[in-house]
Amino acid sequence: MSQHEVDPITLQVIGGAFDTIAKEMGHILYRMSFSSIIRESQDLGAGLFDANFNTLCESDSTPLHIGSIPGYLRGVQETLQGGEWHEGDVVIHNHPYYGASHSPDIAVVVPVFHEGQLVGFSANTAHHVDIGSATPGLIIDIPDVFAEGMLFAGIKLYEKGVRNEALWQFIGHNSRMPKQLRDDIEAQIASCRLGQRRFLELIETYGLETVQTASNQLMDYSERLLRRRIAEIPDGEYYAEGFLDDDGRNRDVRLPVKVCVRIRGDSATVDLTGSSPQVPTGFNVPFEGSTKVACYFAFRALLLDTATSDEYVPQNEGSFRPIEVIAPKGSIFNPEFPAAAEARFTQCNRVIDCIIRALSPVLPERVSGGNSASLSFAAYSGVRPGGDYWVFLEVNEGAYGGRPHSDGPDAIDNLMCNTRNNPIEDLGMHLPLVCDRYELRDDVMPGAGRYRGGIGVVKAQRFLTDGSMTHENDRHLDTPWGVFGGKPGVVGKVELYNGAEPAAKEQLPAKFSGVPTKAGDVMAFYAPCGGGYGNPLERPPEQVREDVLDDFCTLKHAHEVYGVVLDDDMRIDWSATEQRRRDLSQSAA
Amino acid sequence: MATGDVRIGVDVGGTFTDLILEAQAGDRPKVVVHKVPSTPKDQSKGVLEGIAEICRIAGVERSDVKMIVHGTTVATNITLEHNGAEVGMLTTRNFRDILHIARHKRPHNFSMQFDVPWQSKPLVKRRNRIPITERIMPPSGTIDTPLDESEVRAACETLKRNGVEAVIVCFLFSFLKNDHEKRAKEIIQELMPDVYVCCSHEVVDVIREYERFSTTAMNAFVGPRTSRYLRNLERKLHGDGYDAELRIMQSNGGVATVDTCSDKAVTILMSGPAGGVIGGSFAGKLSGEDNIITVDIGGTSADISTIPAGSLKIMNPRDTYVGDYPVLVPMIDLSTIGAGGGSIAYIDEGGAFRVGPRSAGAEPGPVCYGKGGTEPTVTDAQVVLGRLDADRLLGGELTVDRELARKAIEQKLAKPLGLTVEQAALGIIRIMNNNMALAIRANSVARGIDPRNFALMPFGGAGPLHGVALASEIFAREVIVPPAPGITAAMGLLVTDMKYEFTRSVLAVLNDAEQTALDQINVHIEKLEQLCREQLTADGVPPAQQAFSKIAECRYQGQGFELRAVMPNDPLTLETKQQVMDSFHAAHRLDYGYAFEDSPVEVVTLRVIGSVAVDPLELPKLPKANGAGIESAYLYSRDTIFDDGRPVETPRYDRERLAAGHEVPGPAVILQHNSTTLVPPGYLASVQESANLHIRAGSASGDAPQSVQ
Repeated sequence: MSQHEVDPITLQVIGGAFDTIAKEMGHILYRMSFSSIIRESQDLGAGLFDANFNTLCESDSTPLHIGSIPGYLRGVQETLQGGEWHEGDVVIHNHPYYGASHSPDIAVVVPVFHEGQLVGFSANTAHHVDIGSATPGLIIDIPDVFAEGMLFAGIKLYEKGVRNEALWQFIGHNSRMPKQLRDDIEAQIASCRLGQRRFLELIETYGLETVQTASNQLMDYSERLLRRRIAEIPDGEYYAEGFLDDDGRNRDVRLPVKVCVRIRGDSATVDLTGSSPQVPTGFNVPFEGSTKVACYFAFRALLLDTATSDEYVPQNEGSFRPIEVIAPKGSIFNPEFPAAAEARFTQCNRVIDCIIRALSPVLPERVSGGNSASLSFAAYSGVRPGGDYWVFLEVNEGAYGGRPHSDGPDAIDNLMCNTRNNPIEDLGMHLPLVCDRYELRDDVMPGAGRYRGGIGVVKAQRFLTDGSMTHENDRHLDTPWGVFGGKPGVVGKVELYNGAEPAAKEQLPAKFSGVPTKAGDVMAFYAPCGGGYGNPLERPPEQVREDVLDDFCTLKHAHEVYGVVLDDDMRIDWSATEQRRRDLSQSAA
Repeated sequence: MATGDVRIGVDVGGTFTDLILEAQAGDRPKVVVHKVPSTPKDQSKGVLEGIAEICRIAGVERSDVKMIVHGTTVATNITLEHNGAEVGMLTTRNFRDILHIARHKRPHNFSMQFDVPWQSKPLVKRRNRIPITERIMPPSGTIDTPLDESEVRAACETLKRNGVEAVIVCFLFSFLKNDHEKRAKEIIQELMPDVYVCCSHEVVDVIREYERFSTTAMNAFVGPRTSRYLRNLERKLHGDGYDAELRIMQSNGGVATVDTCSDKAVTILMSGPAGGVIGGSFAGKLSGEDNIITVDIGGTSADISTIPAGSLKIMNPRDTYVGDYPVLVPMIDLSTIGAGGGSIAYIDEGGAFRVGPRSAGAEPGPVCYGKGGTEPTVTDAQVVLGRLDADRLLGGELTVDRELARKAIEQKLAKPLGLTVEQAALGIIRIMNNNMALAIRANSVARGIDPRNFALMPFGGAGPLHGVALASEIFAREVIVPPAPGITAAMGLLVTDMKYEFTRSVLAVLNDAEQTALDQINVHIEKLEQLCREQLTADGVPPAQQAFSKIAECRYQGQGFELRAVMPNDPLTLETKQQVMDSFHAAHRLDYGYAFEDSPVEVVTLRVIGSVAVDPLELPKLPKANGAGIESAYLYSRDTIFDDGRPVETPRYDRERLAAGHEVPGPAVILQHNSTTLVPPGYLASVQESANLHIRAGSASGDAPQSVQ
């Protein structure tokens, strides 16, 4: 690398170009792809990387993918077919013990050569609907990593520009959705090739050395911003803990999540020691590709909040450097081979929620009450009359806890998840599945507070033909907490019933694997609601009244928890409210 | 054109209302341009004053004005200020919160304190979203549960009590069968005769519930006020003695009548910037240039659009948002970025040099205006570099203090960064140009268009200062500066065709479609064409002048995003369906660089566009130079800093006095009211008969050009 600094103006110019390239790569990938998990949910990541696997830029699609690709690249390096990169190579990789985030997130990597020299990589990851796992689409109750389906490690789809037809044919015979899988890999290749072309154009315009120096400076810039914010937090150790319902098989074993955040100067360590040992199912978290990425996310969202700051922080390696992550080998956050580790999202979100809780005493202006912090990931499947499978993956939303100046958003993707839902009408036109209900929960009230928690969603999907389903989810037992006097939120629930007999509801655990379903069976998911922020008695009565008018709050809840009394014409009875609030605060004291 | 046929274009911007008037003086066309201050509280005030003034200036009788075409920001401002109508909504039971959930994606990835506009500022409050028992089932549109009419009646009573001004009916799968929406509307009109009512299938008859409902809600939100504004303006015009027809610019680049825009106000949300794109395209054609990239640079933002082969690009319906709300109506494919003369340059807390998107706006404005601004802007940099003459801004109407600009740049940027004031000022310009160049690339290269075959057309007051630098950055072939850069958007209004579009979702896989399936498509196309025809006929367009184009929005079966394929003029047959598929494969390859040629092609939405061409605008030609030199246009010379950082004694010329055939070698600055054109060293500006100014690398004497960044 050059010892010269790139001037601040050229730096902005190159930084802007990187940002645009990553966006374009992501755009092509989701616009072209076929499976709804990529095209609608945008469960993908894309970007450029230097020859040392540092991120130069990444698309702003789904946060879990952001920051995971360097782990893949290191894994590819260890396993690369033939041991050497050549111009014209295209590699696929998804091995969770070689850096992958989890096995369905397949990476496609294209090396970038400039004048014969390997200068970096254009790469992306995307979630594929079915890679031939034990159960269609999603897997939880499985014995080991080999039940996850096809594992690719450093394998070349193209070698020196020549397409490896044998591999493509092999892939086609090992998935329940072979055409979708192969076409979506084609979309990934198109996106990588675009990135490769743009990377080279940039080098040709500015010279390799300037581009390399600029990218180092951009990483330093992101690092500097994050370190400055960490330094503002008093040194110390901050704890929080929670627990996960179960591992999807052993229903009575709760799984602790213990988080200690250590702040020393401008560095932070997240220590997960004391969390559950690894579990015998697929409910483990790959350390490199998921655990670490979750911790990076927490600090960015808290300390470099894009809604409250004007500054654009380039998406690169710099923002990871101040954070160290510790999880003992053999724990749920750092499992040992050959443990399965596919169903890992909920645990990641719970680590983030615990980091937020741990830091709330020292960052009251940046945190929230307890979040839904789980994921509802549902796989619906069946076999069509012609013998072909259909598999549909759906990400259901959660809710946020109340915040220092605003209510927790309702029915929205939470923390590290940020996907888009599938239009009900698009689904109904193409799959033997129909949505019976999709709106805010009205069976419970969210965590009350000066700012209330967000309201979870209820979504009911009905099978029109026989099939099966798997649900990856959690938080039926550990309630999202309130903060600074806010009340706790509400846990989630899952009901199964047949449309012909809707009253006969069966309560299911949050996780279940390969449950056979009959035509008319309905799975109804109720998302957790967020915890409140601040004392509910300090919520202005006018605001409580607005909530009652909008059915965000019942009259009863307004009276019991907020101490707000409305008359028959929905006017605030001020003196009764004052009295009620006085009584409530006395009984609380 | 007869003497009495006067047309006026009036375009309302944030600061100024721009006008252009076209009349006939003897056998020669006469064009007058004018600017008056905008009146944001009631746009019509400025519009009426401007029209009265331009008529006076041009010496035409009010009764001679036959047509007034209006680009308006009324509807857009309602969305920006969120002060639209109180809207009620009837929607399918168990789906009350589609507008609240949206696509369940956060507006920010990395944030805890983000706002969710569709929840904190809903288009329809939850109390006014009333679930109704009814159910249409996919995929064929059978009625599973009939409409409960008593619930509709009860809902009307509730909404009346809540004082709503508009009601929308949004049922799931109404694009398959709209009987329930229609019946509910009848009941509402019976019980609430004074409210504005519309159904989702009427506003946009396409699949995907959130986007359809949101578009419908937006239509009702902006509809009543927009309609009042338009009708009020029309009434006042007639009251003031104008006999003209009032036409409104739509987001799709076509004009429509006051009646249609009142019914579908959602179609004029981008009325403002559309005029500029069309004006740019028109000015390009004056020079025989069909491939144009327009860059309209104002005080706070720049609008960019690519026009290949003379035809406006329309945005993919999945990309059409207004603010944070999806609006499924056709819009010209233009990108807006926060970069303009007022954009603020600063060093952020991480030490990076940034320009925009924050803007000093009209108040306090750039530091050099001396109105209290302290943060240096792009305009300040231009003044410091001597590219904008402090005593000539707005033709000298504005006094500008160069020293204030220098000090601000020195203190805020140059010192902290260890640069000279000139280097910092150049840096501001370079970063601003780069931001714009990236946006141009995203609007062109990223969509398969090669800017090397395009001319860049800069306009808006600040545009021609940046034109050459931008063209060089994106490798555009040349720069064309239109005759009146400050008034180009208004000019666009007078060259706009009348245009109506209708859509309908009809899902069909073409590969295995039999003639019966194709006939179904043909039936719908015929219905859509009929709707266009009725609309045009109602506007008084004779059938012979009506033209229709037919489009199938397709995707590979299983994809989520459609691209446009061209439909043949005649009904689709087993023989011609391949043409549609080929057209789709080609569009896919153009946009993504790859086509899945053996994958089935699915039609999702049919679209018919009915249009009629208007009389072209005739601009007077410039007199020929006939061998006379450019000395007669020479004003004075001053030091000006170009991109190499050295001051060069640079002549100023008066554009009004340049004649056709004149060539102005760089370095030069060409001045006109409201606009300054920069011709850097190594470039040559040549004046066309059309009054366009073409700038290319090279010089009259054949010297090698310098590169400009």
